Amino acid sequence: MRRYIFDRLWQGAVAILGAVLIVFIAQRLAGDPLGLLLPMDATEADFAAMRIELGLDQPLLVQFWRFLQSVAVGDFGYSYQWQVPAMELILDRLPATLELAVAGLVFAITLAVPLGVLSALYQGSAVDRVAKVFAMLGQAIPSFWIGLLLILFFAVTLNWLPAYGRGGFSHLVLPAIALGWYPVAAMTRTLRSAMLDILQSDYVRMARSVGLSERAIVWKYALRNAAVPLATMIGVYFANMLGGAFVVEVVFAWPGIGRTVVEAVFSRDFPVVQAGVILSALVFVVVNLLVDLSYGFIDPRIRHDR
Amino acid sequence: MKANPKRSESAASHVLRANSFRSLARPHWQAPRTGLQIAAINLIAVVLCCWAGTARANDETLTIAFAAEATQVDPTRTTAGVDDYFMNLFFERLLATNPELEHVNWLAEHWEMIEEGDRIRIDVKLREGVKFHNGDEMTAHDFRFAYDRMREPTSGVAVYVRYITDVEIHDDYRISLHLSQPDPTVVNSNMYIWAIPKNYFESVGDEGFQKHPVGTGPWKFVSRRPRDELVVERFDDYWNKDVMPGYKRLIIKIIPEDTTRVAAYKTGAVDWIDAVPPAQVKEFQSLPSTRVINLQAGNNLYINLNAIDRKSPFRDPRVRLAVAHAVDFDAIIEYVLFGQGIRTPQLAPGSLGYDPELKAHPYDPQKARELLKEAGYPDGIAINCYNLTTPREPYFKEVGETIYAYLAESGINCRIEQMEYGAWINAGRYNARPWMDGLQPTMWGHGLPGDPTVAWGGHMHSNGDGWGAYSYHSDSDIDRRVEELRRLMDEDERAEKIRELALLKHSLAAGGIPTYRPVITFAWRDTVSFNPWPGAYWRSMRQIRPCPSKDCRSTMKGD
Repeated sequence: MRRYIFDRLWQGAVAILGAVLIVFIAQRLAGDPLGLLLPMDATEADFAAMRIELGLDQPLLVQFWRFLQSVAVGDFGYSYQWQVPAMELILDRLPATLELAVAGLVFAITLAVPLGVLSALYQGSAVDRVAKVFAMLGQAIPSFWIGLLLILFFAVTLNWLPAYGRGGFSHLVLPAIALGWYPVAAMTRTLRSAMLDILQSDYVRMARSVGLSERAIVWKYALRNAAVPLATMIGVYFANMLGGAFVVEVVFAWPGIGRTVVEAVFSRDFPVVQAGVILSALVFVVVNLLVDLSYGFIDPRIRHDR
Repeated sequence: MKANPKRSESAASHVLRANSFRSLARPHWQAPRTGLQIAAINLIAVVLCCWAGTARANDETLTIAFAAEATQVDPTRTTAGVDDYFMNLFFERLLATNPELEHVNWLAEHWEMIEEGDRIRIDVKLREGVKFHNGDEMTAHDFRFAYDRMREPTSGVAVYVRYITDVEIHDDYRISLHLSQPDPTVVNSNMYIWAIPKNYFESVGDEGFQKHPVGTGPWKFVSRRPRDELVVERFDDYWNKDVMPGYKRLIIKIIPEDTTRVAAYKTGAVDWIDAVPPAQVKEFQSLPSTRVINLQAGNNLYINLNAIDRKSPFRDPRVRLAVAHAVDFDAIIEYVLFGQGIRTPQLAPGSLGYDPELKAHPYDPQKARELLKEAGYPDGIAINCYNLTTPREPYFKEVGETIYAYLAESGINCRIEQMEYGAWINAGRYNARPWMDGLQPTMWGHGLPGDPTVAWGGHMHSNGDGWGAYSYHSDSDIDRRVEELRRLMDEDERAEKIRELALLKHSLAAGGIPTYRPVITFAWRDTVSFNPWPGAYWRSMRQIRPCPSKDCRSTMKGD
């Protein structure tokens, strides 16, 4: 097990280093940030002075080396636009992003698990068909549109929930649904398919033959075995939600990382983009590591094999 | 001393339309049909209503929403226009522009311009007894400090004080601005230098100042969560009691998405919003208990016809005029912008030198084709067209696409290149590489009321010195007129010279073809009295007060 964790850790470190390299190069390819930092009639001297100030006059390799040195000590420099430390800007928004991602995930799991199990148990029934349509809608409708519909119905028409912003639990409901609906489809279908396989397996037939209740078979034995692919999916979607909730964040004016980083891309605010992407990569790697470790707890065979 | 009181007559047209309605209305939902449905909905409503927690206006706190926010709040470091949204709450300059678009003395009690040949000095007597939010008294040293910070090459704003060679301190309340050459923009930009508290700044540093700005303005900083909200409190020791805000506390929510911002207003979560989407202005005008005001933005939109290539068809005035005749801008304003634009033959109402007699080139595709034929292009021309995809102004991308469609009808065929903001703004710089060569719907802003001299220098002078996108026009007569304007300090004379140059510019379609000036719309509940000041694009939130009575409502703006 220790060897396994060690392997996953160094692989994660390589992945983060790769992200560092890609984000550094991609940002430089995107264009010169000075055009956005200086007025239209700034002189060549103004450009030269600002270039030196930001260290952009140095060769790319030098810039990259300095960048690596800074990253190693957690210093991403100052945001060109906001003029505050870039990592501070990102970390300030991390709790909002975490809150939304967790809520979205909870919504997705709460919906996907019963839907997946019921549609496997009652294959071809009305429940199965409803689950299929519900899941399909979640995949087919873009999250910004779901978000706008939710706002129009629950905030404007019914006036039950706030239309925007971060606050108490009520503020979380609509964005969590908008964010969490998309993975419901994939989770439901994955769970349904895994449950169908398991419910037809020998050990389930054996359990039935010795007289175990159907409830115990489904919820205690079958679901636990079907949970391994579900756990993988949850990990991937959770990590995606942490880094990719931009659209939902804009629609609901949610002060999260996604919105900050995407806007920084457009304004070529290198330090903020770098801090945001690297933090997201770090979170992605850690979540995947936790998911891998969770397999061992869900399925003892995996634990013993390792 | 007022810079040009004459302008106030035409400037009144900045308030374009407004509406108000009496009764208070809330959104209604369709009545359910069965008792079970009613019970279920009531139950859910009871459970959820306490969560929704709307923030209705009261006499203490007002919650409003902006579509965009400042990235940083240090006036000596700002380069983005949007920074003004917050800076204007906290900071002030020597002069200000009042709602009638007149330059009025502000932190300057009075001032005098002294010309000695080419050497110019502006002697300023500062207002005494003005306090910063931290209790320090404002003195001459605070302006000198701000000037020194602006002059730093990496400030990003050094260009604005390039002709001010020194800020001389005579005593705590007297300073002189020394100019290296005549610069009429100094007065037009309200002398640009802000009051920055020297002692406070030096004690907290750059980062500390960004986190807790302190100025002399009517609002003082309380807290900020970027991308979420700014909370400010009325500065009770503010020197100008006439324009004091009435609310004790102002909460500015940042809601970039149009639909969400509108929903926040309709649900009562906020009581004032900016940037009402053009497509919804009419709907807002029919909302009960809502005041709506349309104001002209300080931006001037135009089509730049870049002719850096010697073989460019835009070197021929007939081709440029063909472009002017090929596009129906009245239709674009009506159908693409939902009427939210002011057609500008050259300058907009309120600008120095505005000429109400000057009419835009009429839409005439037949004439456009004839002009092209006369210029030697009987089969039309193919050009590059650079389109901005970032919504810098409402529907800017769509307006560009409509322009290209109109041009094609007259034989001017576009190879469209879509650009995001960073690439687009770089393409518009003087001698930017790679060269932009073709047509670019673009814009130049000079604030309100505005003076076109600096921008026209860039648009028309053969050396391209000035501001904005460059046409690479070359005409010695225009060069001479631009240079004359740059050094002319008397406003009446300037206005006359600007009118003459506008006429020439118009007849030659030189330095681009003006199209329209965007109109911005604010909406607020009629329990709030709001008198917009032009600072921060009308968002400086000075005269905003509770308006609980009918008497108050009958006299307030938006009627």
